Amino acid sequence: MTAGGAAIEPLVRIENFRMDFGETRVIRDLSFDVRAGETFGFLGSNGSGKTTTLRALLGIYQPTAGVLHIGGKVFEPRDGVRLGYLPEERGLYKKEAVLDVMVYFGRLKGLSKAQARSWSLEYLDRVELADKASTRLDKLSGGEQQKIQLGVTIMNDPELLILDEPTKGFDPVNRRLLMDIIEEQKLAGSTVIMVTHQMEEVERLCDRVILLKDGTSRAYGTVAEVQEQFGGTLYRITYTGPLPGSDLYEVTAADVGSADLAPRNGADETAVLRELVTSGVAVRSFTTERVSLEEIFIRVYGKETADLT
Amino acid sequence: MTTTPTRASSFLGRHNLGTVVGFEFIRTIKKRRFWIATLAIPVVMAIIFTLVFASNSSTRATSEAQKNATLSFTYTDASGIIPDAVATAMGGHKSTDPDTALADVKAGRSDAYFAYPANPATEHVKVYGADKGIFADNTYEAVAKQLLTIAAQARIGSPVLTAAAGGNVTVDTQTFRNGQVAGGFGTALPPLMFLVLFYVSIILLSSQMLNSTLEEKENRVTEMILTTLNPTTLIVGKIISLFLVGLVQIGVFLTPVAIGYAFFRDRLALPDVDLTSLVFEPGPLLVGALLLLGGFTLFTAMLVAIGAIMPTAKEAGVIFGPLMALIFVPFYAISLILSDPHSAVVQAFTYFPLSAPVTAMLRNGFGTLNTTEAIIVIAELFILGTLVLRLAVHLFRYGSIQYSSKLSVTKTLRRTPPELTGK
Ligand SMILES: Nc1ncnc2c1ncn2[C@@H]1O[C@H](COP(=O)(O)OP(=O)(O)OP(=O)(O)O)[C@@H](O)[C@H]1O
Ligand SMILES: [Mg+2]
Repeated sequence: MTAGGAAIEPLVRIENFRMDFGETRVIRDLSFDVRAGETFGFLGSNGSGKTTTLRALLGIYQPTAGVLHIGGKVFEPRDGVRLGYLPEERGLYKKEAVLDVMVYFGRLKGLSKAQARSWSLEYLDRVELADKASTRLDKLSGGEQQKIQLGVTIMNDPELLILDEPTKGFDPVNRRLLMDIIEEQKLAGSTVIMVTHQMEEVERLCDRVILLKDGTSRAYGTVAEVQEQFGGTLYRITYTGPLPGSDLYEVTAADVGSADLAPRNGADETAVLRELVTSGVAVRSFTTERVSLEEIFIRVYGKETADLT
Repeated sequence: MTTTPTRASSFLGRHNLGTVVGFEFIRTIKKRRFWIATLAIPVVMAIIFTLVFASNSSTRATSEAQKNATLSFTYTDASGIIPDAVATAMGGHKSTDPDTALADVKAGRSDAYFAYPANPATEHVKVYGADKGIFADNTYEAVAKQLLTIAAQARIGSPVLTAAAGGNVTVDTQTFRNGQVAGGFGTALPPLMFLVLFYVSIILLSSQMLNSTLEEKENRVTEMILTTLNPTTLIVGKIISLFLVGLVQIGVFLTPVAIGYAFFRDRLALPDVDLTSLVFEPGPLLVGALLLLGGFTLFTAMLVAIGAIMPTAKEAGVIFGPLMALIFVPFYAISLILSDPHSAVVQAFTYFPLSAPVTAMLRNGFGTLNTTEAIIVIAELFILGTLVLRLAVHLFRYGSIQYSSKLSVTKTLRRTPPELTGK
């Protein structure tokens, strides 16, 4: 921090993080911040090192190099920021009863026995598992176990919620329930870091994202900034008549009576629209669209596969 | 849905320790499998006691019957030392023809026939009897011997000489060590109790300890646990809960023994332990207790370490077997340990960490472990136990998930877990 001292320490700070497993370098050089109160999307293809980064941040792995701080220091359980972590590899004490396990974790996270118990019963009721409170966990379905695990994750009212592929294994109804719960946490002021492969979820929930590729950041910023970085906006028109080419736009997709135009040479929407009108196109509708994150994802990682072949 | 956790950070560690101990203890105690395993041993013991009891009472019944209704037998006496009057009083009829006497027994006309040889000191007394079951059959021999003894007593003619001749005297032994009266077996027994406790706890708890540390890994709950509490708290909590489980088991085992001893003591052929002859010396008792605690710490720490690096219980067994063998190998050298405590082998056993607890506890019991040696061994066990425990926590923490990365042992040992510094 500078002498001025005004710089606000982000809740999570990762700087020049490097991670080797033996000879294999998984993370080359990664730096990013997560600010208090935001929902942060941590994106990347399979095997790009997302889970590894989260584990190193939480002290499960020893980082090879770099700074990984939560609340200004290396993470220690129950010392500082209240954490809720939903690991990618799910699991609880399978041979114990649902309520016993929930109360145990609640106690470990600092709740009193009575608090943990009443919270758990309330939660079980909400996720429609009230009748399973004394059932052994291994007698529950995969999705039901996931719900219990999510409950355990959020029961200490976490300041920082780290979710590694939270929707994995949920049906659409429960996925909605999960999204509602995440949104509630967010509204209650939690900072959320979310790994997911569902780009609609990211567009719906995340304030900022990072795209991980080749052990480093490929794109980083608000969703809009990242979209901007990858071709930004495009204009979707419906029209009648012919559609001539132009210096100001490129036709990226065309169908009978409709087309997507990507602007060129710094043209904005007014310039493109004026160009269309002056060249005699009968424009019936004109909308500004952003490149979807999914499109960007495929552009970033699809290219990787293309390069390999 | 919002609950504010209690956040009193000063006693967090201890608070979690209690939670872990409670959870681990209760879930073990709740298992049906645990009770089956625990109760099986007293049930087997009860069956053995019943058998012993039954056989003793039937033997007794026969010898009671023998006292009242005398056995009718024939005998031949080549030695000539058996007075006729004594034999007749016991129900015997002197025979001159061995073959007829034997034939009578075979035909069931007589219960038994004893053939006393010319020289009973070198030759065998031959006893032939009608089979009356394994317990009753013993009485033939008893009567045959008794007759010879009474005959001999009659010849000696002096109760004092008889007692001396029969070895039937009470001996008080006093031995001296460093000019002090040494207590003998009465002093050795109390500190050796720690050895028994050590043995029992290792036998009963070691495989449970191993499984207990493998549990997080097998249930894939390691990540949740590691981000929720300090791994040292978890491991120490597990060790304490297992210790409590062991106490429960010992309690269960001892209950039938205590009941059996209290109610059937005189009917069981148990050696009569005279509790007043036990001498409780505070020094050896303290040393014994510390050796037990140090040894227990070292071994549980080793088991945790094995559990942390081995992916499954089956693979852990490969290391586990030899480890147990090394712990109990001093029992094979027990005579050497008792007779020549200063030999090189015994010295090596005393200081080699794995064999140290058993060797030192034995020597402590028999009074050959001097204070300096005791201090060195106790210090060694505690220091090594603590170091191995920290190593085990480190292995548990990083070994459970991070398989291919080399673990930095020195780094963990430098970082002191708060539980161990008592923070
Ligand atoms: N413990 C480990 N030992 C060795 N290599 C590992 C270990 N953990 C992860 N890796 C390697 O690191 C790379 C990144 O793995 P990681 O699990 O972080 O990917 P990810 O981004 O979470 O992928 P996914 O989207 O599939 O979950 C992989 O190539 C993996 O093989
Ligand atoms: Mg992953």
